[in-house]
Amino acid sequence: MGDLVQNLALGFSVAFSLQNLGLALAGCLIGTLIGVLPGVGPIATITMLLPVTFGLEPVGAIIMLAGIYYGAQYGGSTTAILVNIPGEVTAVVTTLDGHEMAKRGRAGAALGIAAIGSFFAGSLATLVVAALAVPLTKLALLFGAAEYFSLMAAGLAFAVVLARGSVLKAIAMILVGVLLSTVGTDLDTGIERMTFGYAPLADGLDFAVLAMGIFGFAEVLRNLEAAGKRDVVRAPLGRVLPTRDDLKRSAAPIARGSLLGAILGILPGNGAVLGPFASYTLEKKLAREPGRFGRGAIEGVAGPEAANNAGAQTSFIPLLSLGIPPNAVMALMVGAMTIHGIVPGPLVMTRNPALFWGVIASMWIGNLMLLVINLPLVGVWVKFLSVPYRLMFPAILLFSCIGIYSVNNSPADVLMAAGLAVVGWVFIKLDLETAPLLLGYVLGRLMEENFRRALALARGNIATFVERPVSLGLLAVAVLVIAIAVLPAVRRGRDEVFTE
Amino acid sequence: MAEDTNSPEVSPPRRRLGRSPRDFLAGACLVALALFALWAGSELDPGSLRSPGPAMVPRAIALALGAVGLLVVAFSLLEDGAKLGRWPLRGPIFVSLAVVAFALTIRSVGLAVAGPLVVIVSGAASAESRPKELVLFALAMTAFCIALFKFALSLPIPVLVLPGLFVL
Repeated sequence: MGDLVQNLALGFSVAFSLQNLGLALAGCLIGTLIGVLPGVGPIATITMLLPVTFGLEPVGAIIMLAGIYYGAQYGGSTTAILVNIPGEVTAVVTTLDGHEMAKRGRAGAALGIAAIGSFFAGSLATLVVAALAVPLTKLALLFGAAEYFSLMAAGLAFAVVLARGSVLKAIAMILVGVLLSTVGTDLDTGIERMTFGYAPLADGLDFAVLAMGIFGFAEVLRNLEAAGKRDVVRAPLGRVLPTRDDLKRSAAPIARGSLLGAILGILPGNGAVLGPFASYTLEKKLAREPGRFGRGAIEGVAGPEAANNAGAQTSFIPLLSLGIPPNAVMALMVGAMTIHGIVPGPLVMTRNPALFWGVIASMWIGNLMLLVINLPLVGVWVKFLSVPYRLMFPAILLFSCIGIYSVNNSPADVLMAAGLAVVGWVFIKLDLETAPLLLGYVLGRLMEENFRRALALARGNIATFVERPVSLGLLAVAVLVIAIAVLPAVRRGRDEVFTE
Repeated sequence: MAEDTNSPEVSPPRRRLGRSPRDFLAGACLVALALFALWAGSELDPGSLRSPGPAMVPRAIALALGAVGLLVVAFSLLEDGAKLGRWPLRGPIFVSLAVVAFALTIRSVGLAVAGPLVVIVSGAASAESRPKELVLFALAMTAFCIALFKFALSLPIPVLVLPGLFVL
């Protein structure tokens, strides 16, 4: 406990420097600004803004990126409430009651409670991250290659369960992602794999390019087709500060949502996605009049928003302590850290404690800033959203192109993103979800590396994965999770959660 | 994400591509992708368990993908599901063209040309675009981006390249 206080003190001393405070503020602001654009979620926002942080020193860069991430999350909620377009899966739930509230002239209260709920959730999650980081890092040092492989396998299994729609298709998309991750030079032998001699592919597909093309651009295409159906709220915003009654109704959902989100966010395999859905379902079950849900119940905004933010933050845990990015956003963070010469994993904490605890402390500061800047700025975002989509999407494309180009100063990257955009659009048309693909890609390379290392260590004995107890346990979890997902009863329940 | 441009409409049984055409096509694409990967990596050495070669993991994954793809196809023949839906090509064509135009001009001519190109070409993707407004918007956005990325953030992005004459 004393350690925790000491560590956090170190963190805050780093984060409270004038420069880092400024970077956190700037990150939150521009993150919200870009994240508010309809159909632009955190993944696209971070890819676009990644180059902005290149000139900074590492701690500042990571703090700013984290700020951008929170800003993008909050911007996404704003769009979900005001325009009914979620920037990413986790904001889908917010559209349900948030947009209804907005239609009834209570957009202000919805945005206010989202910010307050997120702040509470963020504060709790920061403590969770700080408390769990040390023990998990110690655990990570006990992990060998086989355990790492099995842990990631379990993560992918969770991702299958958490994907919407068909389980088979989710498995297929994960495999596609893993397959894509093998393109490029083989690390052990130096042989080029499936590059067709195309030089820009020799280092493999850059994750930022893949995410922007197959996810960001494809999202623009999806929105273009739905452009006529956009309904920006015309009703007055109403007051931003929630009433006493609102707060009373929201307090318990926020607390429960924070807890749910924080726990789910720790799971490798993007558990954070499940948070808002789980919270919404839970609140609806607990509510005295469930009929209010879907008609502008403030609990339906408060709980899921808290869960969303808590999960967003605790998803840093697998990254910082184990070096495993649990979702696409964290994979982008890995890219950014690598550019600054930091290899995320258990060693960061011992080798670079100022960075590690500084980032954790800045999480809380970022949340505070969101609350402070966003409540007064709500009016600005509303103005911004009244720009018609016919102008917005060319601007999104321009920013995205500049962002992709700047990651490696490579026109070939932009070219590949153009091709991937079409692929992503076809996937949408075929109901093949791209989120599991991204996760498969993220974990694919790490898994292959650890798979081959584990085999080499065991002299080719593949049984090593089931002979080591921890590895066996993790694989058992993976199998169990998939088996449960295929059970008809659970499948029905899962469909309910995701289609509500 | 759920907001659907192509919400699953349940098709009546006995359609051309099985009972669930969208899944049928999805499965077929997955199988095709798997075959393509097998072909692309066919010259690589799979190695052995004792010393895994570069092809071991990709080949195993491709085989698994093919199998899952076949399962998707099989289920699409048995269970009723979504129709193919509409596939309007205007969006994908102009958006990808715009991005390609940016890629081809950013190094050789610079952002001052690549910027307006992206905005104007992609503008053609939407039926709601108005030419005059779009051109003005393209110029304004490009100026803004040059100011932001080149001057405020000093990213190494070429703004205007006139071969032999001028580079900014």
